[in-house]
Amino acid sequence: MGVLNHLIAQQSVWQLPEGSRVLFATLIVLGAFVLFLGLIPVLQTLPPRGRRAIVVIITFLAGLFFAAEFFLPINWTAIFPKDDPTRNFLTPAIQPAQNVLQIIGALALGLGTFGLVRLHLRNVVQKRAQWGYSIVLLVSFITMATFSILNTLAEKEIVERGPVLERGFSILFDYTLVQLDAAMFSLIAFYIFSAAYRAFRIRSIEASILMFTAMLVMIGVVPLGAYLSYTLLGLPEGAAPEGANFLTQVQHNIGLPKIANWVLTQLNAPAQRAIEFGVGIGGLAMAIRLWLSLERGVT
Amino acid sequence: MQERTQSVWQRMLGIDRRWLYLVLFVNIVTFLVAPIRMPASISPPVQKFYDEIEKLQPGDLVMISSNWSASTLAENQPQLEAVIAHLMRKQARFTIISIEAQSRDISYRLAERVTKDKGYQYGEQWAHFGFVPNLIVAIKGMVNDLPNTIKQDVRGTAVNQLPVVRGVKSLSDYKMIIDVTPSGTLPIWISYSPKNVPILYCPTSVMAAEAYTYLDSGQIKGMITGAKGAQEYEQLLGVVGLGTRFMNAISFSHVLIILFILLGNFAMLMNRLQLRREG
Amino acid sequence: MDWLQFLPLSLDRISVWIGVLCTLAIYSLLYRENPIYRFFEHMYIGLAAGYSLGPLGVDILYRYWIEPIWIQGYWAWAFVVPYGMYLYFIFSERYGWMSRIVIGTLIGASAGLFFQEFSSRYLPQLNSTLQKPLWVGSANPDLTYGMVINNFLFVIILLSVLTYFTFSYEQRGPVKRVAIWGRWFLMIGLGAIFGNTVMARMALLIGRIYYLLNDWLMIRVGGG
Repeated sequence: MGVLNHLIAQQSVWQLPEGSRVLFATLIVLGAFVLFLGLIPVLQTLPPRGRRAIVVIITFLAGLFFAAEFFLPINWTAIFPKDDPTRNFLTPAIQPAQNVLQIIGALALGLGTFGLVRLHLRNVVQKRAQWGYSIVLLVSFITMATFSILNTLAEKEIVERGPVLERGFSILFDYTLVQLDAAMFSLIAFYIFSAAYRAFRIRSIEASILMFTAMLVMIGVVPLGAYLSYTLLGLPEGAAPEGANFLTQVQHNIGLPKIANWVLTQLNAPAQRAIEFGVGIGGLAMAIRLWLSLERGVT
Repeated sequence: MQERTQSVWQRMLGIDRRWLYLVLFVNIVTFLVAPIRMPASISPPVQKFYDEIEKLQPGDLVMISSNWSASTLAENQPQLEAVIAHLMRKQARFTIISIEAQSRDISYRLAERVTKDKGYQYGEQWAHFGFVPNLIVAIKGMVNDLPNTIKQDVRGTAVNQLPVVRGVKSLSDYKMIIDVTPSGTLPIWISYSPKNVPILYCPTSVMAAEAYTYLDSGQIKGMITGAKGAQEYEQLLGVVGLGTRFMNAISFSHVLIILFILLGNFAMLMNRLQLRREG
Repeated sequence: MDWLQFLPLSLDRISVWIGVLCTLAIYSLLYRENPIYRFFEHMYIGLAAGYSLGPLGVDILYRYWIEPIWIQGYWAWAFVVPYGMYLYFIFSERYGWMSRIVIGTLIGASAGLFFQEFSSRYLPQLNSTLQKPLWVGSANPDLTYGMVINNFLFVIILLSVLTYFTFSYEQRGPVKRVAIWGRWFLMIGLGAIFGNTVMARMALLIGRIYYLLNDWLMIRVGGG
């Protein structure tokens, strides 16, 4: 590990000389692509067991790194006297690991876009049913991608921001994408309203409890609840004064907002905590199964 | 099959959905336009949120995690506007980070708009760190070494040259984290951010009920629930924002939905009684 | 209404009208499925997918890959993107297994990270439950009987819901009765979620109608 730290600290090994950096960088990147392309036929010769072994080992090592970084004690000065006592020797590697995972994460997100475009290109080429809509999708995709990339580059002052880019991106983003997105998700309100009327039936104790709580919360948390309690019924607002008699204390605590808050903090919170505990234990079991590749269908 | 005339209850139960949609639409338009405004009763989580920000000193640094896109605009926009207004009033500095691609531009444009009105300087008093797809490792990285994790802001300035985060080495140098979100990012902040930095939470209402367990355990110090929480916050700040404007319509849409749930159940009950009577 | 200001005669007004057109086209689905809705739906998906390339390309690839290599000269990063590109074999039947190498990296990392999540997310909640004082005594002078009752209630609800979640053995006798109570308490939690969900959904719709009234029709709304 000392050697590794030494290497990481040694800037000159990892950094290209300033003089012909662009040329060398391009060559190395090309070399990296060639290397990984060349690896494909090599990897392909592996038998199924060997393929699985590679996946299992990489999954395990990726997990081991983060688990070890978390579990290892932080003070290693006894072994590595020059080490920072606030972190263990794996901690400095967190930061490059985060960069790698961000890049892979971005490529994974790009996967969805790639799949979508591929599907619709195929629709158009093969003139499948309703391929006209696929053209709409592809045209809006290309237009938006161009403006979006140019806009982000313009923010970093890599390209110049002209009025066409400014207004074009604003129309595409603020007045089209944002509006469509907001409209699409606001449709759910209509469906939830219709479903509440047509399907929310009080047939059991469970359904009654659920509906009663929902109604209490719905009225209690909005200003209407405060208006009904404090203005219409004239209940006292705020906490009861020190040493008030029982009746006054009750009056101070039966306003709808107070009751709704009590339901949320005293009845709802423990139920949510129980769900959390269930999720936590399940999550831990799942994490271990995934880490050790015991979960079928993933590796 | 024998043709039977439908009873009034059956017709009520089988009403065309589109009439229901229309009722909801008209209800909302009516109460949006209606010239009434009811004051809110400030709920304890919102009050705690407010008190927590009140404790900030001028120049304190706050991390805002803004992860919402236009799909939850009506819930998260009033929250973010109210929170930034309060931070500016306290002269606190803030940086924004987004885990959602669309939110990057939405929050950047929103912050640019509201800070410009108050003369807040980009780079000096606030900055946007852009978009990261993997929040967990981003937080781990920021705890370890913030400038090298973020590298540069949306404008391409290197983080170690941004005055707003001058001298900041780690996320633990921040005074507060505020998560404005419609998705499950809060547990990530709770799990991986430094324990000495308090977390405040602005969820959409959908996710608020689940967060009460974190409020109880002190893992979050305050919460603004959706547009309704934003209204309470605006009231505390003494401003009129979107939360306040929406609230009337929200209140009465709740009344409407409760009435219709009861109506649906009543119609079902009457229908069943009638069928039993007819044998 | 001032018609000259309302009509799409300036660039700003044209933008607003475009937004309204998008909204109404989506809402046309409420009446019935129709070609206009389908058109805008596909446009929406295309725009959303196209938009993501900007932040993905510039915020991530430029920031974490291109700049470190070409500008700062850290050559070792060169290998990350070719490695990550193996993900794209997922579309190939023959080479599909290679994408699992990269997916394994992501899965392994999130599994390894979960231990920290478990300790910082769940254990403090356990801790907080165990620290709830259940009697009024000299140790907690600020405690009132109301708080103690609330704490008892909290613990009882938590334990009974947990009992309901225990599937390792058959629930019989008193355990079953506790589990039934647990289910009822769970319904309170779900009711709270339902109430809040309604509120959120209504808010989103109200936000949209606000746009139609305020930005498009220029009606002063929201109580003046």
